[in-house]
Amino acid sequence: MNILNKALSENRFVLTEYEAKKVLAEYGIPVSKEILVDSETALMDAVRNIGFPVVIKGCDPKFVHKSEKDLIRTDIRYEKEAIAAFHDIQARMTGVSGGVLVQEMIMGKRELVAGLIRDSQFGPSVMFGIGGIFTEIFNDVVFRIAPIDKSDALGMMEEIRGKRILEAVRGLEPVDREQLSNLLVRIGQIGMENEMIQEIDINPIIISKGRGIAVDAMIVLKSL
Amino acid sequence: MMRKFFYPSSIAVFGVKDNPKNLAKNIIANCDKMKFKGNIFPVGRSTGKVSGRTIITDPHALAKDIDLAVILVPADMVAETLEICGQKGIRYAIVSSGGFREFSKNENTAEKNVVAIAKQYGIRFIGPNCIGVICTNSGLCTPFSPLQPKNFKKGNVSLVCQSGGVSIQIAYHFSEEHLGFSKIISIGNKLDLDETDYLSYLLEDQETSQIHFYLESIDHGRKLMQLARETEKPIIVYKSNIGSTSSEVARSHTAALSSDDRIINGAFRQTGIIRAESIHDMTVCAKALQLKPLTGDQLVVISLSGGFSVILGDACENYGFSCPQLPPELISDIESFRRGGVIQMSNPMDFGDVHNYEGLIFTLEKCLALDFIDGMVLSLMYDPDMARLFGTEDEAYNTILEFLSKISQRFNKPIALSFFAERRYIDAFKKSNVFPVFNDPVESVRALRKNRDYWKVKKKYS
Repeated sequence: MNILNKALSENRFVLTEYEAKKVLAEYGIPVSKEILVDSETALMDAVRNIGFPVVIKGCDPKFVHKSEKDLIRTDIRYEKEAIAAFHDIQARMTGVSGGVLVQEMIMGKRELVAGLIRDSQFGPSVMFGIGGIFTEIFNDVVFRIAPIDKSDALGMMEEIRGKRILEAVRGLEPVDREQLSNLLVRIGQIGMENEMIQEIDINPIIISKGRGIAVDAMIVLKSL
Repeated sequence: MMRKFFYPSSIAVFGVKDNPKNLAKNIIANCDKMKFKGNIFPVGRSTGKVSGRTIITDPHALAKDIDLAVILVPADMVAETLEICGQKGIRYAIVSSGGFREFSKNENTAEKNVVAIAKQYGIRFIGPNCIGVICTNSGLCTPFSPLQPKNFKKGNVSLVCQSGGVSIQIAYHFSEEHLGFSKIISIGNKLDLDETDYLSYLLEDQETSQIHFYLESIDHGRKLMQLARETEKPIIVYKSNIGSTSSEVARSHTAALSSDDRIINGAFRQTGIIRAESIHDMTVCAKALQLKPLTGDQLVVISLSGGFSVILGDACENYGFSCPQLPPELISDIESFRRGGVIQMSNPMDFGDVHNYEGLIFTLEKCLALDFIDGMVLSLMYDPDMARLFGTEDEAYNTILEFLSKISQRFNKPIALSFFAERRYIDAFKKSNVFPVFNDPVESVRALRKNRDYWKVKKKYS
């Protein structure tokens, strides 16, 4: 894949969020709509294109956990707000090469995580579990060895302790397991077809109208 | 190709000394105690006799047609011993000696030499750092610690263990649970043959119907999965050494959250490998997979005790089973067998008010015949007074278990059976070995979970 080869040729082993989501999208994984901008004019074009509310994020592979670096502004609803956020984030990114990412704001209360790790004994292994800020708190994730099929993916959803999050809880619609299992199957496929990918992280996957959308993602390549 | 590890016509034991402290001589004593029929040649540096056999001090004087060498000499002398084996045409060896990578992580020349010599002569070996093989049919018993092999029970479970001590305890515990075994292989450091080699052999072995592993590491995960998917024989793994190995410098959540253990769990679930949590749990798995396949999650629970029917109801819920309502006509038919008419029948069913076998037999058959019931949990009471109904006590054990075995066959549904009785009577039921008996009611439900998990995956790949 071009994106992967480009990163490797630049001696980069962590893809930016923007690049990682391009890889996911190529495999049919739904990702939030987003545009990379480097100027105020481009920012305004992007905002008009995507439509409020938006999220504005710093986009550089050095920032693996962006929220910890205060590089995310969510639920931006006005142009003035967007401009302020753009400059603020740019200021925090002095000395790094990355741009600023304007993203559609995915509305949803439930956050899941999915990913891939290339295990030394079992090879590419797909992860699924509770995402967002609860990822490390609940540690509620399960693995399957790629390639996985639909029934493996459905089994993963049954195996997490917090599986009720996928049901019609508190007035929310039930999660479309078909769509979510498809997403997990595709992650396995990426692992099987791209030897140079070492890790994939999609966190969070936000459930919006019952469907999972990759809102943040990273990909780590094998550093030989 | 591995048959000679279990059925050698003759063996040479290296490292023997006519001295009370010598360990290698125990290998010969153990084989004798287990009535190994082949010739055994003790080889050592000084003259003497062990177990009535003269120690051979010049290995070049060894016979030409020896199948297997068992080597217990210091690590740095293993390579030259293997070389002698090679020259003598011995192509199979058990290297029991320790002192290789498990002892020193540094550059290990002894290890390299062993591998090189084995390669040069085409010798395949088990170990090093192991106790080798126990084969109940041939009587080969190569552990170097004194054992009581006459208590080992013959059967069709074979076990592969990455620890000598665990191997021995498994041999005792399986035998005490009246579960016979065919072969136990202590595989040590896996320097030549590894778990997938042993598995490949045991999958083809006519004497083996289930394969159990005790492993501290897995070297060829994908190969193990592939073999597990393809076979009809259940594979049970007790995996220890599960401390988190995830990298502290992990860049992604996925890497931080991954551990050997979680990935192994996933791999096992995908391929129907059943995970055991202890040596005893291995015996529970062994019995669980002797039962008929459980093809759904709906159970009927019958106990001769109200208390145990409540406990079993909880256990079913904990292990993900449901106990659906039974048809009212059936309930009223069953209730007609009550003596006092003081207990309401439902599912789980308190059978404490029914005191005749006709009622029990009627209920078991009618419940198993229900389309929506996938299996049964049965907790019976036993007292020797009951044996009078059957003649002798032994007849009682056999008659009860044979009956349950037959109806389980007839309806093709599993019955998870336990007794509340004095331990010695429970043991007598287990010993009769006609039908699996679990040690307690909750254990019987756990067994059904393992059975169900196994068949869920097997049906997918069949």
